[in-house]
Amino acid sequence: MNYPVWDVAFGAGLLIAIVAILHVFVSHFAVGGGLFLALTERKARRSGDTELLGWLKRHSKFFVLVTVVFGVVSGVGIWFTIGLISPTATSNLIHIYVWGWAIEWVFFFTEISAALFYLYGWEKLDARVHQWFAWVYFGAAFASLVIINGIITFMLTSGNWVETHRFWVGFFNPTYFPSLALRTAICLALAGVYALITASVQKDTALKTRIVKWSALWIVPTLAMMPALGWWYIHQVPSNVWARSHGPMPTATQFAGYAAILLALTFSLALIARIRPARMHLSFSLLIALVALGTMGSFEFVRESVRLPYVISDYLYANSVYAASMPGDGGFNVENINQKGVLKVAKWVKDRDMTPANQVAIGREVFRVECESCHTTNGYRGMKNILISHGWDRNETQALLGSLYLMHDGVMPPFAGTHGEQAALAAFLVSLQPARATEDRAPDGHAVFVHNCAMCHQPRNDDPLFKLLPSDPAAATEALEHLPNLFPLMPDLKLTPAERTALVRWINTRRGNATRSAGQGGN
Amino acid sequence: MTAPNLIPTLDPNPLPAPYWVFEVLLLVTFFLHILAMNFMLGGAVMALVARWGPAKRKNGNRMFSDVAKKLPVLLPAVITLGVAPLLFVQVLYGQFFYTSSIVMAWPWFFVLVLLAAAYYGFYFVSYRREQNPGKAGLVLLLSVLFIFVIAFMFSNNLTLSQNPASWGAKYFADPAGWNLNLSEPTLVPRYLHFMIAAVAVGGLLLVLMAWARWKNDPGYARDVLHLGGKAFMYATMAEFVVGIWFLLALPRRMSYLFLGGSPLATLLLAIGIAGAIAAIVLMARALRTENVRLAGYSGAGIMAVVILSMVSMREILRLAYLEPYFHPEQFAVKTQWSVFPLFLVIFIAGVVLWFVMLKRYGLFARRNLPDQSGL
Repeated sequence: MNYPVWDVAFGAGLLIAIVAILHVFVSHFAVGGGLFLALTERKARRSGDTELLGWLKRHSKFFVLVTVVFGVVSGVGIWFTIGLISPTATSNLIHIYVWGWAIEWVFFFTEISAALFYLYGWEKLDARVHQWFAWVYFGAAFASLVIINGIITFMLTSGNWVETHRFWVGFFNPTYFPSLALRTAICLALAGVYALITASVQKDTALKTRIVKWSALWIVPTLAMMPALGWWYIHQVPSNVWARSHGPMPTATQFAGYAAILLALTFSLALIARIRPARMHLSFSLLIALVALGTMGSFEFVRESVRLPYVISDYLYANSVYAASMPGDGGFNVENINQKGVLKVAKWVKDRDMTPANQVAIGREVFRVECESCHTTNGYRGMKNILISHGWDRNETQALLGSLYLMHDGVMPPFAGTHGEQAALAAFLVSLQPARATEDRAPDGHAVFVHNCAMCHQPRNDDPLFKLLPSDPAAATEALEHLPNLFPLMPDLKLTPAERTALVRWINTRRGNATRSAGQGGN
Repeated sequence: MTAPNLIPTLDPNPLPAPYWVFEVLLLVTFFLHILAMNFMLGGAVMALVARWGPAKRKNGNRMFSDVAKKLPVLLPAVITLGVAPLLFVQVLYGQFFYTSSIVMAWPWFFVLVLLAAAYYGFYFVSYRREQNPGKAGLVLLLSVLFIFVIAFMFSNNLTLSQNPASWGAKYFADPAGWNLNLSEPTLVPRYLHFMIAAVAVGGLLLVLMAWARWKNDPGYARDVLHLGGKAFMYATMAEFVVGIWFLLALPRRMSYLFLGGSPLATLLLAIGIAGAIAAIVLMARALRTENVRLAGYSGAGIMAVVILSMVSMREILRLAYLEPYFHPEQFAVKTQWSVFPLFLVIFIAGVVLWFVMLKRYGLFARRNLPDQSGL
């Protein structure tokens, strides 16, 4: 709202994910591949393996075409994209960490220069100097990871930075070292994965066998270490933050699951390659690369969804609203916006005066400045589908907006704005879904739960709803009539008497099931 | 709604060093970036001229090939040297730069796609220039066109970032970001001023190549010198016309700065004009007497000074445009002493290492034959 919001119809979040995942898949190869070049050249020269050296020369050309062209352009691409989609976060990161970026730039420049000297030096440099360039390359590339890792992990776990505002406190944050270890392992594995691609097109079977075996040595042990490194990583994320991802919005755990499955698959495929090295085909090597890309993408999705609702943890929400008021925040904090209204505080709003006639249009504006950094109307994380699947009406939608920060165990930032703006947003959101036919048949308790409760509650005996709701059907039905009486933070959803009765019946059945399945005997 | 209301406020974090430190870094790194860009784009244009242009003589294909093989090294130099000013412009002028980028978001985003395509094009040309010069020439043409489009996007974005008054109408008309800044009167002369300068520097690149070959291959070197020297002169002459157009297109308050209003701006413009005239006269003389040393020294030396003065004028112009909205005093400053010295140490070490790399690669050992290095 301080900056204009780029209205990307299919989803700004998706665009940034595509650019970022493609970039990291190449940039990690750029680091690990550097060590691969250095060690493979030494191995080939020590053993006098001229065929291997010949292949390495061709591989280094491929390496430069992938990393120095696509890697570099997509790296600049991340700068462009985050500036377009999260300018507030980018501006903060630039001002906090510009010297980090500047140091990283020195390494980056060294790295790119060394890569080109290495590629063009095959014919003209003696063996010792040529290998020296590979080591310079790898040193600079790894150093750039050492720097960037501090800034990326800062966004996930800002540690005590919010209190101290000190560079190194935020830099060496709780996830710094596990992330560095995990990413280093990824770099080494990807060096092998990419090498399989150029190995697969070698006609000399004996040579191909040697390369595939050598590449598998880079992949298999590092992948085997990854579960432990991932475990270490996750345990450095504050437990309350990680707990969110187990709740009703399990994006992180879901993607962690994908990452685990794809990791196991990459591991198995690499093992097959190691067992049958001579049969490595281009399509098989590309399949391994694709699965590895999926693993890497899932890992990045885990990181991104664990970070939510923040873009910089405990400091800035994903929608560019500061979590707490502080000097110099321009008033873009929740408290101030609640007080004055988003239409007053936001700079990039066209229409600031709300009338009953323009409520939906105002709601559209509120949606753009507060929600569009993650949601779309009808694309990635599209609101239309979310609303249709839950079947919320206008009142329910508005009631839920009031407790947005509780929804999905706190994955969402709070709605910031006045009551009237909340109503306008609800009016706009509801306008997205087609008019519903009124249902005459008796409500189904499970459906009532899914539509009205499941975004915050889970059907488990230890869930607050199950704990607080009396088991006596009459008392429970009465308690549900005014939800804030049950628990003050509950949204004031209005269920019909029939819905309440059905819900209570269903919950009581579930309770019975849960109790029985837990083996605690019947009442 | 008046424009100042739309200008984003700064974020709460202070500048981690005084304003002037970043302004100097921005100026110096942008100078290096634009120098590399001029050699890359100008070189690519000269390669096309050698391949197809009126100078298509017996050495045309050879010149094309000799320049084309340098392009895959020049382009990453442009990009890596461009990342630094991209960083520093965000430090100082993020409020303006992010906003204008968002207003023209999709064209700005497509810079990346075009850049990747042009870059792969350069590699294709470099690897296939011998086997298939016809196709290589066409691919090069396409790559050069893409780079011209990219440069046009940069001119759009930079002029837009300096005109907050025009943001609101554009953004609210299309929040999806399908905007350009075509209504800006300085856009075309500013763009041409950059592009024609690149052609002049491309000519200079040929002069330097001729110089490197002067002893070993005098016949070819003479051809290269004449093509390069002429391009350098004609493009520099064209710069006068475009420069006057640019000056006249500026709002009066700003053109006045360069015409006596500000002593520094006026001095810089005078240096630029005098330098360009001197460069043309000396180059004409060098061509007449076939004195490649004179052509190389005068061309390179004067151009460096002229470009530095133009880059400084560009900064002065930016501050003049932003005068109603931006003052360096707006920043709170809290120098990060725990890391700023580390940057300086690493930066100096990086520069030293870079020269060690050049030395170990042998670029200093064969002073007269840099072209055989493969770079």
